[in-house]
Amino acid sequence: MGANTARLLSFQILARMIDVRQITKSTKEGVPILKGISFTVTKGEFVGILGPSGAGKTLTMRCLNGLTRPTSGEVLFTDHEHNLVNLTHARGRELRKARRQIGVIFQGFNLVKRLSAIDNVMIGQLGRINLLRSLVYGFTDDEARQALAVLEHLNVAHLAHRPVGSLSGGEQQRVAIARAIYQQPAVMLADEPIANLDPTNARKIMQILTPLAKEMPIIGVFHQPDLVMEFCTRIIALKEGVVVRDGDSKMTRSELVDLYGAELSEIEASQRILQPA
Amino acid sequence: MKQDTPWTYSGYRRRQTLRIWTIALVIGFCAYWAGVSCKVDVDALRTGLPKGIDFLGYLFPPDWTAFADMAMPALETILLAFLATIFGAFLSLFFGLAAASNIAPRWLRNLSRFLLATERSLPEIVILLLLISALGLGPFPGVIAMAFGCIGMLGRLFSDAIEEINPATLESIESVGARRWQVITYGVLPQVLPSLLANTIFRFEVNIRLSVLLGAVGAGGIGFQLYYSFQTLQYQRATTAILITLLLVFVSERLSDYVRKKLTLDARL
Amino acid sequence: MNVSLDKQYLPSERYKRHAAYLAVLAVVIIGLCSYFKFEPLLFISDFHYMADLVVEMTPPNFEVLWRKEKIFASILQTLSMAFLGTLAGGAVAMGLAFLAARNTTPHPAVGAVIRTLLAIERVIPSLVILLLFLIAVGLGPFAGMLSLAVGTIGMFGKLFANAIEGAEKEPIDAVHSVGASKLQVIRYAVIPQVLPSFIANLFYAFDINLRAAIGLGVFGGAGVGYEISMAMRLVRYRDALALICFTILLVFAVEKLSDWLRSRALGQDLLK
Repeated sequence: MGANTARLLSFQILARMIDVRQITKSTKEGVPILKGISFTVTKGEFVGILGPSGAGKTLTMRCLNGLTRPTSGEVLFTDHEHNLVNLTHARGRELRKARRQIGVIFQGFNLVKRLSAIDNVMIGQLGRINLLRSLVYGFTDDEARQALAVLEHLNVAHLAHRPVGSLSGGEQQRVAIARAIYQQPAVMLADEPIANLDPTNARKIMQILTPLAKEMPIIGVFHQPDLVMEFCTRIIALKEGVVVRDGDSKMTRSELVDLYGAELSEIEASQRILQPA
Repeated sequence: MKQDTPWTYSGYRRRQTLRIWTIALVIGFCAYWAGVSCKVDVDALRTGLPKGIDFLGYLFPPDWTAFADMAMPALETILLAFLATIFGAFLSLFFGLAAASNIAPRWLRNLSRFLLATERSLPEIVILLLLISALGLGPFPGVIAMAFGCIGMLGRLFSDAIEEINPATLESIESVGARRWQVITYGVLPQVLPSLLANTIFRFEVNIRLSVLLGAVGAGGIGFQLYYSFQTLQYQRATTAILITLLLVFVSERLSDYVRKKLTLDARL
Repeated sequence: MNVSLDKQYLPSERYKRHAAYLAVLAVVIIGLCSYFKFEPLLFISDFHYMADLVVEMTPPNFEVLWRKEKIFASILQTLSMAFLGTLAGGAVAMGLAFLAARNTTPHPAVGAVIRTLLAIERVIPSLVILLLFLIAVGLGPFAGMLSLAVGTIGMFGKLFANAIEGAEKEPIDAVHSVGASKLQVIRYAVIPQVLPSFIANLFYAFDINLRAAIGLGVFGGAGVGYEISMAMRLVRYRDALALICFTILLVFAVEKLSDWLRSRALGQDLLK
């Protein structure tokens, strides 16, 4: 292999922010859940992961952030400084360093309910600030101003000092997204960011995420094929732990029927509510 | 076997009666032997009770002049309880964290739970006796004894509160690359603070009561005044001490009830 | 940036406020400590005395547990005090609770009087009650048991009354409607509802009383508490440690036993 090809290869690797290679995961009893999932995500993509319940979507997402370790295979992540991190093997300091650059929006928001919204946003940078300062002192005024600016961007600045537990689902979701943005990650993972939201809010969240994807790739798990087709640039379909489709953001109805089976009628029923009358 | 005999009301009644009688007999048997061991003496009670009621006469009127002497010991008791509560709550927090399954590794959790259970089985007065043997009489061993006495109860309550935290919340803080101590400071402490405070204030009330008992052994404060007055047969002076103690206990109880009610209202998030 | 943070919300302002509270608290504590001549640092500088004590106490002299009959009897005495205190106090507390509870009291005035008495009784320190009983029946386990019983009445009378007041109204009305007398209503509608909570509370009371019995024993001249304090006073530290270890074990075991019994009793009650 010539030096040129090597450079070319390394460039290609760099373009891939997330490189998932044949990951598998089994339960303690040995029942396989993920059966060899591979895909790569590059800059500028807004990837929607679709699939019926139990397909392994959430578990895949957890593997992407090192919260769950796959049984085999590996997840490679390229950070801002073009360091290649193997999330499957990273531990301690290395894992924390990688996680700083991976923003996660969790399914149940998972915010600290008793802290104010702005404090929750500032938690996004805990990985970066000095440990001693974070334990003894806390956040600086500048950090608070930046966090407020992000909240303002998401139209929830007026809630900044309310405890998160007293906010509605849509408001909490915005705070969770604000936290992920404030974290300034290289890639953002979103696990059902619009589940349990009403149609208007769901659409608004998608409208917030779309421009963000231009700066950092977003990988999201969704249950709403129509919104995914409208906003995402690419759809990966999972079924029973394998990737059954990986391509553009257009899926025909027959493809959806193949993917979801009987579940499709439920999803369509909920979508009918989603359609503005 | 059981399916063979059909359920009848009379059979049910018979079994029920039999069971109640068995329980009653066992309790009665235990009570009898406990009575022997305790030297229960109904005659002594019959002759003693009038004596005791007569004695109440000696307690009155309270020695109002002693109030001035007792003000400082009363303050000392409050301070003793206060210092012990703060110190004990601080220690308990670490034990609580170490005994919470979602924070500490398994071996540490089991070890801490074991230590906490051991401490709970050890009455404060025994700790005080030990400390007095080592450090001599005085308020200082009292504070330490009460502080250690807190750990068993508060540590357990704290760790229970901490274990109730949604693990997903902690995971989400970990997901930004935070260290364990940062997770504790930003994820755990804010969530458990109200219950922490409520329990600590309840323990303050307990410590006020305790400090009376411990004071009598030699930890100073109003408890010592009370016991000393009794021992030196200054009963009217003792009444003053009792009244002050009642006031302390009553006020601390009201205070802790009030604050806890406020905190639980806040905690409904 | 088109939004600005109010000054009061700036983190630096917030931390300044916290620091101020802490400083005030620290000044108060240090001031009081110096006024009463406390020196918390003594704990560190005098630590070697405690280390010495630990050395003197080990190894625990377990022989004392079976050498002297009196010591074994004292352990039984502590158990008995707690058991009888709970039994007698619990029985009286139940009776009073029915008189005090608003829905079963024979007369509102009686209920109010009993509730007030219970409230007063609750704040009287156990030491005072013990001292009074010591004068009445003399030094020994009996006085300890009586004061435990009185303490139990104060502590649990109110809890029991609350449980009775919390009983559901529908079954009571149902039994009333078939023409039952007040006592019959209590027997068939109230007691079945409150019994589980009574039993659970009695077990709880026993746990508390066992610990209290050890403490009161020091003053009452009875039980294992007294033996420990005697051993300490006579500088028989190794005996004392053996007794302390045994006490911990005892409280531990009794707690487990009472947990087991409680779950059995309540489980069966639920099956009824």
